[in-house]
Amino acid sequence: MAKDASPVPGLAFPRETFAKLTPAPFLHAHLKQAKPVRPSGRAVGDFREPTINIGSLSHSNGSAVVRLGDTAVVCGVRAEILLASDIPSPPKEDLSESQMLENLGLIVPNVELSTGCSPNHLPGNAPGTQAQALSYRLSSLLYSSEMLRPQDLRIEYTTPQTDDDLPDQGPQVVTKAYWTLYIDILCIALDGNAYDAAWIAVIAALQDCKLPKAWWDQDREMVLCSPLASEASKLHLRDVPIPATFAIFSTLSPLKQRSEADHWVMADPDEFEAALCAEMVTMVVRTGAGINDSIVRIEKHGGGMVGRTAMKECFGMALARAKNIRRVLQID
Amino acid sequence: MGPDISHHPLAGADGSATISSNLYSVLAAVNGPIEVQRRDELPEEAAIEVNIRPASGVGGPRERWLESVVTAVLRSVLLVHMHPRTLIQVTLQLTTGPTLKLKNATRDISVLPSLVNAAFLALVDGGLPLQSTVTAVLLAVSGEEVISIDPAEKELAGCKSVHALAYTQHGDLLLNESAGNFNLEVWEEVADRAEKACVAAVALASEDDEMANGTAEAAPWLRRELEEKARDAVAWRDHT
Repeated sequence: MAKDASPVPGLAFPRETFAKLTPAPFLHAHLKQAKPVRPSGRAVGDFREPTINIGSLSHSNGSAVVRLGDTAVVCGVRAEILLASDIPSPPKEDLSESQMLENLGLIVPNVELSTGCSPNHLPGNAPGTQAQALSYRLSSLLYSSEMLRPQDLRIEYTTPQTDDDLPDQGPQVVTKAYWTLYIDILCIALDGNAYDAAWIAVIAALQDCKLPKAWWDQDREMVLCSPLASEASKLHLRDVPIPATFAIFSTLSPLKQRSEADHWVMADPDEFEAALCAEMVTMVVRTGAGINDSIVRIEKHGGGMVGRTAMKECFGMALARAKNIRRVLQID
Repeated sequence: MGPDISHHPLAGADGSATISSNLYSVLAAVNGPIEVQRRDELPEEAAIEVNIRPASGVGGPRERWLESVVTAVLRSVLLVHMHPRTLIQVTLQLTTGPTLKLKNATRDISVLPSLVNAAFLALVDGGLPLQSTVTAVLLAVSGEEVISIDPAEKELAGCKSVHALAYTQHGDLLLNESAGNFNLEVWEEVADRAEKACVAAVALASEDDEMANGTAEAAPWLRRELEEKARDAVAWRDHT
C-alpha cells in the first residue's frame, strides 16, 4: 500500500447528507438532546413570526402577502355582485343569518399550490388533494366561525311609500343583491404549515377589504356602485379565530414496545418536519379582550400520541400564538 | 346496540362491509395489497388510497378533505411496513345520509365516524394485517352543555358543537375533529365519554356486566361483531 495515501475519511457525513439520507434519525438526533432543538434552530414550541404586508395588489378589493419563515402566501379578495333575482332557489326566511351566507355560498376561497412553490406540487397542474383539502378547510372555517356579518354583504333597497300602502306600515326593505367574496390564495413558496399562513393571509386581506358603496337603482333596475374611494366601507370581522398547527414526531414503530416510544410536539412544522410526522393537530381558538377563551375547531388525525394532557398543552400554546397573531394583525 | 353491520357484501373486492348507523349508511370495499403506480410507490411501506363517493353527485373538495383525514387514520391502523411498494385501496360509498338540513361543518364531522368504522370493518374482512382496533364515535354538545353519544339528527341540527373521535383499544386518540364553540373543559368531558365508548366497544364484557349497565355506550358491539366473524371463519373445521 502506498504510504502517502490520504488519511481514511472518517465515517461522518456533513449535516445535509445526513438529513437527506436518513431524515427521521436526523430529526430524532436533534430532538433527543437534553434541550431539544429542531433542525431549523427553533425550540419545539417556537412558532415562526409572520411578516404581513397588506394592500399590495391594486386591483383587488383587499389583499395581503404573508410570510411565515419560508412559506409565503398571497391572498386577494375580489367582491362581485350577486343579484337576488339570479338566485335559483332563494333561501327561506326562517334561516338564521349565518346559515344564509353558507346557503348562498357568498364566500368562495380557493387555494392554488401549483405555482412551483415546492417540488411536491408541479406548476400548472390541476389542484391536487392537498390544495383541495386546504380550500375546503378554509371555507369550512370561514363559514362556521361566523366571522363575517351578513348585513355587510347585503345590498338593500327601501321601497318608497305609495298611496296604496297602509299608513301605519313602515317602509319596506328588500335585499336586491349580495356581495360575493372570491378569496384567492396563491402559495408562492411552501415550507410547511400552509393552513396557518393561508388563514392569516385571509384575515389580513379581509381586514383590508373595502366594498364600494352600492345601491339599487329602481329606474334602471340594476345595482350601481360609487367610484369614490371615500364612500367605500370596510368589512367588520367578529371574534377572529386563529389557528395553530402542531406536528408530532414519534419514535413509535410496530417493531417496538408501545411504552418505549418517545414523542415531541413541534409547533408550526416546516415541510421537512411535517413529512416525517404521522400525526398533526390543528387547533383554532378564539381569544382576546372581551372574548372568553374558546375552541372553534380541532383537527387531529393519525398517530395516537396526543391524548388529553398533550391537547391541553396544545391549547395553551395555541392561545399564546393567537394573542401574538392578533397583535401583529392589530386586532386588539 | 351499535350500528347494523353486514360483512362481505361484495364478491369482487378483497374485503367489504356495510355499516348503517342512525345517520349514515356506508358501503366500504378494500383491495390490497395490489400493485401501485410508480408515482405513488413508497419504498418502505404500503401506500394507502381512499376514495370517497357521496350518496349523490360526484365528489369535490369536501370528499378530498375527508379522504385525507381517513387516510391518516388508516395509516396508523394498518401495519403498512409489511407490504412495502404496494397499494391498499379503500373505497367508501355513502348510501344514505341525514335528511335534515345541517350546517356544513356539522355534516362533515358527523360522517367521519361512519367512514372510519366502515373502512376498519372492510380492512378486517380483507384480512389485512392491522396493528390496532379502532372505533369511532360521534358526540354532540347541546346549548345546555349536555353531551350525547350517537346523536339523532334533531340533536345535531341544534347542537353547539360536534365532535368525531376515534380511539384504539389501548385508548390512543387517532382522530379528533371538532367544530362549534366550546371550551377545554367541555372537550375533556367529550374526550372522556368518547374514550369510554370506544374502549367499551371492543372490551371483554361478560353478560352480567352488560345487564348491569346496559347502556348504549357500554355495549361491546365491535368485539361481538369481530368474534362472530372469527367463529364463522373457522366453522369449516367443525364440518370436516
